[in-house]
Amino acid sequence: MNRCLLVFVVLLMPNASYAELSFEQMETLSSMPPSLKGEFTQEKYLSSLDALLVSTGTFSFQRDKSISWKTLEPIKSELLMTPTSIVSRQGARELARFEASSNPALSIFSELLFAVLTAEWEMLSNYFELTGQLKGEQWQAILIPVDTNIAQVVSRVELRGGTLLDELILHEGNGDFTKIHFRNRE
Amino acid sequence: MTKPHALSLKWVSMGWLLFVLTVSSLAIKQNPSFDSSILALLPKQTQQPIIQQATEKMAERFSKRLIIMLSGEDEEKVRLAVKTLAEGLANTANVSSVTWHIEDGAIERLQLEQFPYRFVVINKEIRARLLAGNYDEIKSLALTKLYSPLSVKSGSITEDPFRLFSELALHQNKGLNLQVNRSLLKVSGVETPTYILMVALSGEPFSTQLQQNVLGEVERNNRVLKESGIKLSMSGMLLHASAGAQQAKSEISTIGVGSLLCIVAMMLLVFRRLKPLLLTVLPVVVGCVTAAALTILIFGRVHLVTFAFGAGLVGVSVDYALHFLCERTVSPPGQVLKRLLPGLLLGLISSVIAYAVQAITPFPGLQQMATFSVIGLVASWLTVVLWLPILTQHDSLQPVMMADQLDVLRKKFPRVEEKPYFALFLLFCLGLSVSALWSSHSQDDIRLLQTSPADLLSEEKNVQTVLGVTSSSRFLMVSAKTLELSLQKEERLLSKLDELKKNGLISDYQALSLSLPSLKRQRENRELVRQLYRANLASFFMDLRLPFDVLSKAHSSFEGATGYLTPEVWRQLKISEQGKNFIVAQNNKAATTVIRLSGYFDDSVKEKLIAFSEKEDGVFYVDQIEEISDLMGRYRGEIMMWLSIAYLGVAMVLIFRYKADSWRVILPPLFASVFTLALLTQFGLGVNLFHLMALILVLGIGLDMGIFMAETDETVHTWLAVSLSSFTSLVAFGLLALSKTPVLHHFGMTVLVGLTFVWLLSPIMRKNNSRGVCL
Repeated sequence: MNRCLLVFVVLLMPNASYAELSFEQMETLSSMPPSLKGEFTQEKYLSSLDALLVSTGTFSFQRDKSISWKTLEPIKSELLMTPTSIVSRQGARELARFEASSNPALSIFSELLFAVLTAEWEMLSNYFELTGQLKGEQWQAILIPVDTNIAQVVSRVELRGGTLLDELILHEGNGDFTKIHFRNRE
Repeated sequence: MTKPHALSLKWVSMGWLLFVLTVSSLAIKQNPSFDSSILALLPKQTQQPIIQQATEKMAERFSKRLIIMLSGEDEEKVRLAVKTLAEGLANTANVSSVTWHIEDGAIERLQLEQFPYRFVVINKEIRARLLAGNYDEIKSLALTKLYSPLSVKSGSITEDPFRLFSELALHQNKGLNLQVNRSLLKVSGVETPTYILMVALSGEPFSTQLQQNVLGEVERNNRVLKESGIKLSMSGMLLHASAGAQQAKSEISTIGVGSLLCIVAMMLLVFRRLKPLLLTVLPVVVGCVTAAALTILIFGRVHLVTFAFGAGLVGVSVDYALHFLCERTVSPPGQVLKRLLPGLLLGLISSVIAYAVQAITPFPGLQQMATFSVIGLVASWLTVVLWLPILTQHDSLQPVMMADQLDVLRKKFPRVEEKPYFALFLLFCLGLSVSALWSSHSQDDIRLLQTSPADLLSEEKNVQTVLGVTSSSRFLMVSAKTLELSLQKEERLLSKLDELKKNGLISDYQALSLSLPSLKRQRENRELVRQLYRANLASFFMDLRLPFDVLSKAHSSFEGATGYLTPEVWRQLKISEQGKNFIVAQNNKAATTVIRLSGYFDDSVKEKLIAFSEKEDGVFYVDQIEEISDLMGRYRGEIMMWLSIAYLGVAMVLIFRYKADSWRVILPPLFASVFTLALLTQFGLGVNLFHLMALILVLGIGLDMGIFMAETDETVHTWLAVSLSSFTSLVAFGLLALSKTPVLHHFGMTVLVGLTFVWLLSPIMRKNNSRGVCL
């Protein structure tokens, strides 16, 4: 079900300077490692306070199973997402747990994040319109929600990547955004 | 001398015809509807009216709602199907609304309504942490959330730094396994894409018209859906109501036609002519039509079980015609009524007494049946007495062969008076039966009322499992002088329920006070949040390295949010639509709410719940299923009593006429009833309500048999008549034993066994009268 973070653009279109992208293309261009881990830097911009909340940490995912999101600075906490539940932990202590089935609002968002992080294009195509460009080895895509309920939460998603997804920006429409940059992936 | 008498008889007959026609056409004009809900037969006012009201309110959720689930591999096709079906249903009569589409921003609007009350309506877990002074945990949770990639749109950090509102909103949507997927309602946690629609019905699910309209539309869609590989499943009272009506209809047509054919064959075999058959059927038809017409006029609607019992009437009232015809085969036209009238009258009176007793009981179902059968009996009787003499005026005497053969058979029966050993044997059997009954259990299980086919039940269960609906019939009812006091009571109860939940004794509950806390609780909450702010707000903002003015902004935002969520304000909010289901009644004297308990729990938990509710004034534990079983038990007890009263009443009338010979009339049905019940318990069936209802019929037919035998000095053609009437009743009802509807099955079984016993016992208790064919 989950597809890929790898987009082998270069191999297929070595001479392309710019090209329009589509979900189908992303789909055919994608394959996916069974697991991946790395580091991230997350910047949350709060427009009302003009403040930037920066956090760093590590992430890892296992295809179809789970995504672990460990924030190390400035606080220590872990978010463990599986297709059926979301658990928030601090050390050994469980702060909150949600079953996807009992919490539709949250589960739809975690499903989306899951899809973005694991490049699940088919799932995303249900909710978004994609425009994008290829330039050499790099691609960038913009997702605009077509689903009105999603549009309430996210106004735009920007994705940038090469062989792997490098950067993700979620715009909330009110000026707030969350920017995540991935590094040192293996 | 006979001329004016015959003439007036003719006029009376015409008058009777006119009456029957008028009543029938009036009833047809009423456009009668038929009930198939067994519950409609049970009394309404057996418990406190407020509990009744609560029960009805809870039942309404199920009875007026139909859930349709569509699933298929091709998600887009399923979505399209949802749209098509929803639009079709929205335009169907009897559908008040179809929920399938969530409007833009509906969920967000729903939640934002509550934002102003974030400091007074707070999540249960947060409150527990506040009460325990676990401020650091709340702070950590808020920080985690703030840094989580998942939290967007969680509101301003100054207005709600600790994310109290998003915590509340997150926990509020518990319930069904549903998510909004591109504006449609998608079931979560299943492999195959599955969407649902919820249909609200504008009328009673038992209305045949409504069933045809709504299910017809669904079926029309389903034919198309099947071709495109989409599976449709449903859940709702409507389906059961419709299946019940279908089953009753098909059984009436198969069993009904079967028994009719048997009766026709038998009549032709005995009389070897068509006319007696028609003459036997005529009074029965007139009786049924008149009874149905008048019952509809009196009660507005007639229950299917009333009709089943009405069919019982056929068995009894056929007696009158049979006696008339059997007597007519040996007597000239003028003589027949003269000979028969005393017996016919006594037969009518005894049966009317036996049936009419039910009308005095406090059960609407029995009252309806009593009305139906008494009217039917009287109408059949009048038809026999008034019309049959005219219709058979020119028939010749024609003794029936069968009468003599039956008589020979009867004379082979041992007579108790001649065979003391046999009498002892009967008494022994009676003793054995009574002792068997004494030790037997009764069965008042609600499953007796369950008439739905198994596949429908499993479909229902499947839909409920997938959706995570817990259809529970158990709840706590909370009453107090005002809604505020009710809510406070609820809150006290909920803390106890939480304990049970923590120990895994109950799975969950739903209550109004979760979304609308009492004002007392709201003030408490505000105070708790104030303490949290005092203790941790400054350090929270320090951790985030936010400018100092943010802290004062947050404080003033808290002080500015002074509003409380009063019931009046709450009623203006959209979220109150769901919550209103929890309010059973509210006026200036009292307010009543319910706490729904979901999932299965055992008797020990039930005891605990009852103990809780008894400690608190105005709290009741209600179990609808148990309620109904209790009701059936009480119903059974009542019928037992009224049946005994009927026997006593009839015995008195009989003693007045037959003196010492009364036992010959009353003992056969009495013994037969006891034997039958004892036998049924031996087959592992507990005695239930419907067995006893059938015994009323056994009494009626048994009495007729005894009375006619006594009245005519046990002539051969009387024996023929009573045998014929027993046989017709046996066939008419006994075949109901084949019914899949438990109610009718038990009824039929009892009549089958009971009447056979009556027929066997009657000749055993006969007078020693060896007179041959009369005249």
